[in-house]
Amino acid sequence: MVDTGDTAWVLISTALVMLMTPGLALFYGGLVRRKNVLSTIMHSFFMLALVSVIWVLWGYTLAFGPDAGGLGIIGTLQWAGLEGVTGAPSDVYATTVPHLAFMAFQMMFAIITPALITGAFAERKRFKAFVLFSVGWATLVYAPIAHWVWSPDGWLYSLGVLDFAGGTVVHLSSGVAALVAALMVGRRMGLVEPATEPHDVPMTVLGAGLLWFGWFGFNAGSALGASGIAAVALVTTNTAAAMAALTWVTISWLHRGTPSVVGAAVGAVAGLVAITPAAGYVSPAAAILIGFGVGVVCYSASLLRLRSRVDDALDVFAVHGVGGAFGAVATGVFASVAINEAGRDGLLAGMPGQVAIQLVGVGVVALYSAAMTAVILLAVNGIVRIRVPRDAEEAGLDLAQHGEIAYGA
Amino acid sequence: MVIAALVVFGALLAAWLLAPAERAQVARTPEQRSPDVAAPITEGLAEAA
Repeated sequence: MVDTGDTAWVLISTALVMLMTPGLALFYGGLVRRKNVLSTIMHSFFMLALVSVIWVLWGYTLAFGPDAGGLGIIGTLQWAGLEGVTGAPSDVYATTVPHLAFMAFQMMFAIITPALITGAFAERKRFKAFVLFSVGWATLVYAPIAHWVWSPDGWLYSLGVLDFAGGTVVHLSSGVAALVAALMVGRRMGLVEPATEPHDVPMTVLGAGLLWFGWFGFNAGSALGASGIAAVALVTTNTAAAMAALTWVTISWLHRGTPSVVGAAVGAVAGLVAITPAAGYVSPAAAILIGFGVGVVCYSASLLRLRSRVDDALDVFAVHGVGGAFGAVATGVFASVAINEAGRDGLLAGMPGQVAIQLVGVGVVALYSAAMTAVILLAVNGIVRIRVPRDAEEAGLDLAQHGEIAYGA
Repeated sequence: MVIAALVVFGALLAAWLLAPAERAQVARTPEQRSPDVAAPITEGLAEAA
């Protein structure tokens, strides 16, 4: 039966998560050079439209539809075009809200996940190649992984992997894909070492603020009801983001001599990423430890990336890949049924095996995402060169790809 | 209805495949225009190695 309170919360959370994608557009847009800001924003904004339609037509049924073959690998096409998905609750998912509301909530996750990857190939990827890649990735990478982890028939779900709101499904999968994309597409031309300066830091901070705001829907909405678990997830989300921002700023202050504004924004996002798989399973005190840990780990990862030859332009792997993996393992450490009886106990509650289960989830998702991303990139490159020609990269993608510029002379 | 929706979306997908990859007049002169060789896709891997 539909519960009005639960339904209101899930619908509002859907809108909150939707806002994260334009927020991501601003976050990434501020970090690139001014000649590429429109193309970077377009990657996220176009994704909102593209994956919305894919999700209705075939994405949702592949991810959450009845299992095909009983193997827990992929859903059938029974719900293609949302046939049978109505205003009545599902028998399986979020049984107190309309099935369409659950579907729409999940749609917003499917949208932002491939949008996260775009930060890795910013400033050099052809728009046409981006579109084809995104269709392939949403279908062949996101939908199966969502089925494995979140469908009750999924094989990782059956194994006991805990992922409250998408640490593996969203962040690890996109972070690893970003690393593969950055490796295959190659470095940008004309980089100012050690890194190209952001062209608009206020835009980035505004984007981070919108992401933080929307993340309340992302994590607390994943309780799928207006419940105590939603309140737990909201508090742990805010706490981890805050602690990671404080940690990142402190480290950059000690390391570089100044408390970085961009560091505060990136640190907050790293905290949000790490708490995502744990949000509804851990205590606020654990969220402080997770926020601190991910601040240290992701800052270190971003330093390593700077020293490497890999041009993951906007540190998607360092923040989402490393942060997602860290959060998934931390979930296995801090999870407790005293917080959420639908969850499982972790290491500190006397069940060390949960850490091993989480590690299996991390390894499988990372390997699958890496391999499939490489296959999709090679296939797309066979149709249209993924990277723009040299003169287009010099002119900037805004002009070369979109025929527009962001700012007047 | 679902089939019709798939057909319409498929038409958009076909249009994206056929659409030009970028504006032709990015470079001001033909001499300034580089050939479409910027990225054999494994170039990045070789660079990273």
